[in-house]
Parts: sequence; C-alpha cells; structure tokens
Amino acid sequence: MADNGQLEVSVWRGDSGSGRFESFRVPAEDNQTVLDVVSWIQQNLAGDLAYRFACRVGMCGSCAMTVNGTPRWTCRTHVKKVARNNRLTIAPLANLPVIRDLATDMDPFFARWIGAGGRFVPQRTRDDPVAPVRPDSPGRQAADAGIECINCGVCHAACDTVAASPDYLGPAPLQRAWTLVNDERHGARGAVLAAVSGAGGCHNCHSMGNCTAHCPKELDPLRAIAGLKRATFLGAFGKEI
Amino acid sequence: MPRSIEFERHDTDILILGSGGAGLFAALHAQQTAPAGTRITIAVKGLLGKCGCTRMVQGGYNVALGPGDSVERHFMDTIHGGKWLPNQDMAWRLCEQAVVRVRELENEVGCVFDRNPDGSLHHKAFAGQTADRTVHKGDLTGIEIINRLMEQVLSRPVERLQEHRAIGLIPTPDGAALSGVLMIDMRSGAFRLVRARAVLMATGGGPSMYRYHTPSGEKAMDGLAMALRLGLPLRDMEMVQFHPTGLLAGDHTRMTGTVLEEGLRGSGGYLLDHQGRRFMFDHDPRGERATRDVVSRGIYAEMRRNENPDQLGVFISMAHLGPDNVRRMFPGMVKRCADCGFDLAGGLVEVVPTAHYFMGGVVVDPDTRSGIEGLYVAGEDAGGAHGANRLGGNGVANSTVYGGIAGEVMARDIARLRALREPDAAVLEAEIDRALRPFAQPAGHVQELRHRLQEIMWDDVGVMRTAAGLERGIGRVAEIAGELAGTGIAAQSRAFNPTWHDWLNLASLTEVSEVIARAALARENSRGAHFREDFPEPGDLDASSFTVARRSGDAVEVTREPVRFTIVRPGETILPEGEPETLVENP
Repeated sequence: MADNGQLEVSVWRGDSGSGRFESFRVPAEDNQTVLDVVSWIQQNLAGDLAYRFACRVGMCGSCAMTVNGTPRWTCRTHVKKVARNNRLTIAPLANLPVIRDLATDMDPFFARWIGAGGRFVPQRTRDDPVAPVRPDSPGRQAADAGIECINCGVCHAACDTVAASPDYLGPAPLQRAWTLVNDERHGARGAVLAAVSGAGGCHNCHSMGNCTAHCPKELDPLRAIAGLKRATFLGAFGKEI
Repeated sequence: MPRSIEFERHDTDILILGSGGAGLFAALHAQQTAPAGTRITIAVKGLLGKCGCTRMVQGGYNVALGPGDSVERHFMDTIHGGKWLPNQDMAWRLCEQAVVRVRELENEVGCVFDRNPDGSLHHKAFAGQTADRTVHKGDLTGIEIINRLMEQVLSRPVERLQEHRAIGLIPTPDGAALSGVLMIDMRSGAFRLVRARAVLMATGGGPSMYRYHTPSGEKAMDGLAMALRLGLPLRDMEMVQFHPTGLLAGDHTRMTGTVLEEGLRGSGGYLLDHQGRRFMFDHDPRGERATRDVVSRGIYAEMRRNENPDQLGVFISMAHLGPDNVRRMFPGMVKRCADCGFDLAGGLVEVVPTAHYFMGGVVVDPDTRSGIEGLYVAGEDAGGAHGANRLGGNGVANSTVYGGIAGEVMARDIARLRALREPDAAVLEAEIDRALRPFAQPAGHVQELRHRLQEIMWDDVGVMRTAAGLERGIGRVAEIAGELAGTGIAAQSRAFNPTWHDWLNLASLTEVSEVIARAALARENSRGAHFREDFPEPGDLDASSFTVARRSGDAVEVTREPVRFTIVRPGETILPEGEPETLVENP
C-alpha cells in the first residue's frame, strides 16, 4: 500500500525482446499529470528511462502510453483521474514495436496512414486562387468531423482488430482516408477507396468501437469507417463517388 | 580522426535539420526542384512532424489575401511591429511569398483553412494588424499545416533520420565551407557524421531557458548554440518574445508555461491581481487588449508588486462572459484547463508571462544563405525578418515561406556544390568530447541546474531588464556553465538516455543564455520585446541599429550594425496615397 502523499508507480522497463515492471515511489502533487510522474522518475530515480513527449499540451501526439491498462495521452491525463489507491501502472502503447521502456516505434502506424491513401493529390497549383469550399456542404462537414486527428496512435493501440490482424490499416488511417474521400478538391478519391477496400482495409473492422471510445479528441473513427464501408460497397456496384 | 570514439558516417546531397514548417517545406520543395536521384535527408530530434513548434500554432497565418489588404500593408505592419529593426528585404519577401505559400498549402498540400459561408477564406485581425489578414483552422492551425505537410513528405522518397539530434556543425579543415553535421542517433546512442552538399538548419529557436516557457519539451536552442560554436554571426539576440498568459500550475508540472490563447483577452477576458482588481488599465488604455509585450510587462509589474507569497502570477477570469459562452467560444482551451484541473469557464486560472518565441537568429540573406558555404538557415533559427517583435501569425508564415525558399535554393545550388567535403577532424573530435563529458564527471542533478538557469534568466534577463541585473545575470549564467561542466549523469548507457539529452539541452541553453544577456546589455534602449528600465525610450528610429553577436575563442563579442532602410524609412509609408491607416474598426 502506498504512503500518503506518495504514488506507487509500476513502470514497464525493457525492449522489443523482453521486459518487466519496476516500482517507483513518486511524491504526489496537486497539479500532476502522468507525464509529470514519468518525468520525475527519469529526472530523479532512473535517468535512462526511455520515453517520449514534445508539446506538453495535447497537440503533437508523442506521449501516449498505456496507463492502468488504457491507452491515453500522458500530458493531458491528471493523476487524480486515473490513480487507484495512489497506484499507477504505466506501459508502452500496445500494437506498436517497443524501442525501449515506454517509447514505441510509430513508423508502422504512419506507413498505414500513407498506405490508406492518406495524402492529398492536387488539382490546382500555387498559382491558382484558393478553391471555394462552403463550410456547410455535406462533404466538408463529413471531412471536418475527422480532420483534427493528431495521429497519437491511441485508437491504434485500443483496436482489437489491429491487435489480431497485423495488416489492418487501423482506425486513424481509415478516418484520414474518409476525410479525403469527402474532400472535393482531392484528385485521387477513387484511389483512396481502392486503397481501403483491399485486404487490410475497412471491411476488417467489426465495429467494436474502441477507437471512438478512446479518442482523446472525441473524434469518431468508427463512423468514418462506416462511411468508407458504404462508399466502397456502392463503388462495387459501379456508382461513382 | 577522434582518438577512440567511433562514429558512423552517412552521406547525402541535401540534409535538413528539423521537421517543423521550415524543415518539411524545405524537404518538399527540394524534392520538387532537385534533379531526379538527388538524395534528400530530413533529420529530426523527435518524430517527423510531431516535435517542433509549428504544430502548436493556434492563431493562424498572416497572408494579404483578405478584402482590401495588400502585401504593402502586411509589410508596413511587420516593420511597425518590428520597431524598424527588421531586415526589410526579408520582411518584404516574407509578406510577398506568404500569398504563394498559402495558396500552395491549400491547393497542393491539401490544407483547408476556415471559410466564410460563401466558401471564401476567412481572415481575422490579430493585434497589431491593420487588416483582417490571419487565416486559420479554428485554433488548431498548426496541426492542419503540419499533418498535411507530413503526409506529403512521408509519401515521397525523402530519407528520414528520426530521433537524431544535431550536436555540431562540422566545417572543412580550412573553415571555408560546411562539411556536414555531427549527430547523435538518440535510440542507439551512436555518433553519426552526416555529410551533405547543402545543409538547412531549421531546428527552431524556442527560448526554454526561462522559468516559464511555451515551446515543446525537446527545444533547447541547439541550432543557435551550434552556429555560435561555428563562429557565425547572430543578430537581435536580445529579442525574446513573451506571451502574456502562460498557465501557472507549479514547478513540478510540464503544464506550467503552456499558452492560454490570445483570444481569451481579445474576446473580453479580465486579468485580475491578487486582490481581484483589473490592473491592465493602469498600464495601457487598451487594457487587456493591448499588445503582447505591453500586457507581459503589465503582469510582470503586478507580480513584483504583489507581496502575497501564496500567489505568484495573476488571474485570468472569463466567467463574466457567461461560462456556457466561454465553453462554446473556446472549447479546446476549456477542455485543456479542465484536464489539468482548472475551470477556465467559470473560475480563475493563474497565469504568468511565458517565453514564447525568439526573434534573434543567424544572419542570413533573403535566399536563406548563411555566412558559410553549404549552410542555409530558415525559420526561428534565422534572424532578421521580425526585428524587435514578431506579429502573431507571422511566425508560421516565416517558417513556411523561408523553408520553401531554402529547399529550392539548395536544390539549385547543389549543381554548383558538386562534391562532398571532408570534415575538420579537430572540430569533430572536440564536439564528440564535449558531448561525452557528462559520462566522465561525478553524477549530479541536471534538472536542478536547469531550474537555476531558468530562475536566473527570468529574474535578470527577462521581461524587464536593467544593466545591473544583466551584469549579474551574465555572472550567474557563467556559474551554471561551470557547474554543468563538472556535473555528470548516473545513467551510463548512451542508448535512449533522456538524462544525457537533458545535459546537452542545458549546455545549449546556457551558451545561448549568455549571448541573450550580452546583447540585451548592449542595447541601451527599449524596442518591442526588449525593455530596459534604465533606458525606457526607443531611441532615434532613423539611427536604428541591430546587435550582432559572435563568439571568438571563449568570448562573445557584441557589435552593432545600422539598419538599412532599403524599402521604407521611419516616418514614411509605402501604402498608396489616400489609403487609410487601418481597415480594422477596433484594432
């Protein structure tokens, strides 16, 4: 049992091969995030504790970890919200290779992002005026619903299908694909639908909804994937999107 | 070659340091411009597109595309904002090319900025602007820009060196050109010399040597420290912009110092002292809506006056606007504060001025070329475009405009810079020795030293300055440098060792801190972000000069150079005759 004013923190230490949890006692503070706890351990007790963060405010998506079993941004998670009996268990994000300790390799996640067609293809140039885009148009509203994703990987870590099928593109890349399908300016909408309807595509999703339940931005990848499923189904019957 | 430490080698044609707006645009433009087969490498201290500060841009991007606006007007606002210190050719190119860059971001990169109901771009007026100019994506403009740029770079044949930290710019033995950049592969801990025919330094500034600061955690002024060690001239080094409202939540949390956005004051938020009194009207008739520098000084003055030990900062209060309105107007800010345990919509949130942006940087020409062949500098690492102050919305314009220019210029220059160049072995060895120093010293507490540096800079080289304080600060910074040199780290593995990088960060910050203090001591007037209590007047605008700092041996020398008014002189304007001074009703 942890003392008053102390947090009992189990931190996963190891690399891609093996690892174990190591325990640390950390002073509790009034305003304290999980990232602050990890930082305190590194600065005071375990100088070689590998972890990653950048912006500190939920904009970069570098610091997500598994906190008491749940994938979360650590920079915006108050200790009081997640500690149970002053205990925290902190592990690397699931479904990504571990580099060491709490730092994962996010390259496979970004490879899926690009693999899902997640890159704008222009139809205009910098010499043309900016295209008019009506904010109330249905396409724009559908795209706006998912555009603020910061690619933190939380939904990727929360997704059962990602865990079970290594080829599955996953919720965040599919959500980005859906924003592009709905972007009237995008020059390769058909190619996006082709990319997401193949083997690792949107039809692998069986709508468990962990992505939407865990998204720190309160976005709805599940809904975006449902949109892709409909659009690729219609596409199969020859209807142009 | 170094005695015993091995290092790996890697060769490329174009090397880009940094993946903010400048680095990503440079990679994109280099890839579009260079001959097929050109090797382009982007090296970044964190993950590509994730670290760096462009991503954190809230407000937006200044571009003269709004109704009635013009490049001339944007330029005049930039010169006025910079208090006549900007390099006018750089400021002009910034304003002129911002138009092209925003069209490119929209039409080619895929960004969508907010629209008016008719589908046209929405422009708003930031403080200090005379037109509705700033385009934005809600208050998360940087995420839209960096996400879309990152996709473009990830999908192109650009080589990535992630979690690679640059520690030394390595010249050729004769010092006439740059050979390459010495890096630490942070994951393995290996040293790696990357030679390139052209190198862009776009590591971002980030004045995180202050007790309160906004930049992301990996920012440590590595770029300017490397430039200093190479002997390059740095200009405007006294110019540190403070944002007036940083969150204050205690020294133990990384939340402290992060920005509560400008719009809170703009929309009618109050700043209250420890007695609950609005104090900003004591300092400026615009009250809380005054410009960043004025409000920062107002808050700092109140903090000095306050004798309540339980309260350090002042409070921002929004509740009089109606908590539900505040939640609707600022959903992101309200949620962020709530996640951290504060009620922005209905309660009081304690704030302090927080070091935000560095106007100073390497002296470059408007094509981003530095004083040494093969090295280009863009974004916050480059000085000149902003002078004494940066307008809100001109930061991301600067990084994307000049990053793009650097990419094109390097892609063309490599036709001339044909061969890879051999490094100066002595410099290489010295840089490796410097980086390994903490492994040979008795273990100490790096974080405690960093806190002390931050206290010194805040107290002696901060929002309000005096000669006595600056001289004291220079002495105290030197003490930190001395102590750091004798401070080691306990963790001995070089692989993914954050404490080693904390040490290296502090080394960079300490080197640059001395230069800030010396440049601030040299400027005996008050302009923009630089305020001297002992010299509160701006001085003769016609005789404006800028500081140039350079290291030779162990000493930093600061000289002054006259501003060349190549486009407009103080008291004049380039707006057409009869053009109104401002197009904004309540600027």
